[in-house]
Amino acid sequence: MLITSEHLGDVDVAEENVIEFPDGLLGFPECTRFALISAEESGVYAWLQSTDQAELSFLVVVPAPFFPDYEPEISEADCAALELVEPADAQILCLVTIQTTLVTANLLGPVVLNVANRRARQVVLTDTELSTAEPIVPSR
Amino acid sequence: MLILSRRANQSIMIGSDIQIVVLEIRGDQVRIGIRAPRDVTVHREEVHREITEQNRAASAARPDVATLPVPGADSA
Repeated sequence: MLITSEHLGDVDVAEENVIEFPDGLLGFPECTRFALISAEESGVYAWLQSTDQAELSFLVVVPAPFFPDYEPEISEADCAALELVEPADAQILCLVTIQTTLVTANLLGPVVLNVANRRARQVVLTDTELSTAEPIVPSR
Repeated sequence: MLILSRRANQSIMIGSDIQIVVLEIRGDQVRIGIRAPRDVTVHREEVHREITEQNRAASAARPDVATLPVPGADSA
């Protein structure tokens, strides 16, 4: 399907890369459909572009390469909402924020995508040690 | 807003399956227990607010993707 993005222009997105957020994202409850669009070659960054609002997009990152110890524990309530049964079906993505040159990832409120049904949810973890703006540095 | 006075060990029911228990009152802090079905999510309000604010900031991020840190590219 063709998606209009203010930032990326018109993008043709395969149906399997369109995901549903039944509850939206925190602060954006009305936007429930997003397209996941690869942002660069390494494959760790992607754009989460609203299919309804051209101006709404988020940069997300696959956290594992940068935060190898990060293993978010997804609550039963969140698993139930996502109809997530197999842990292997869960893909974790973290929203990226840029402060001048510092690139950070939100580890406290990751997006969990159930790749089996393309349903996603921003979950709030109970681990208070986690930050909403953890600096991303190249892995060593 | 409904306002109720409660003492330690007293509780409040919300609907028929959510129970809020005042466990302990000490100085300016109250310890609260929450019994709720597993599909009800419970969080501290400030965590919710922090993530909402971070999302707003994230929605404005328009970086040059060529400059983003990538795995295994540490030059140091």
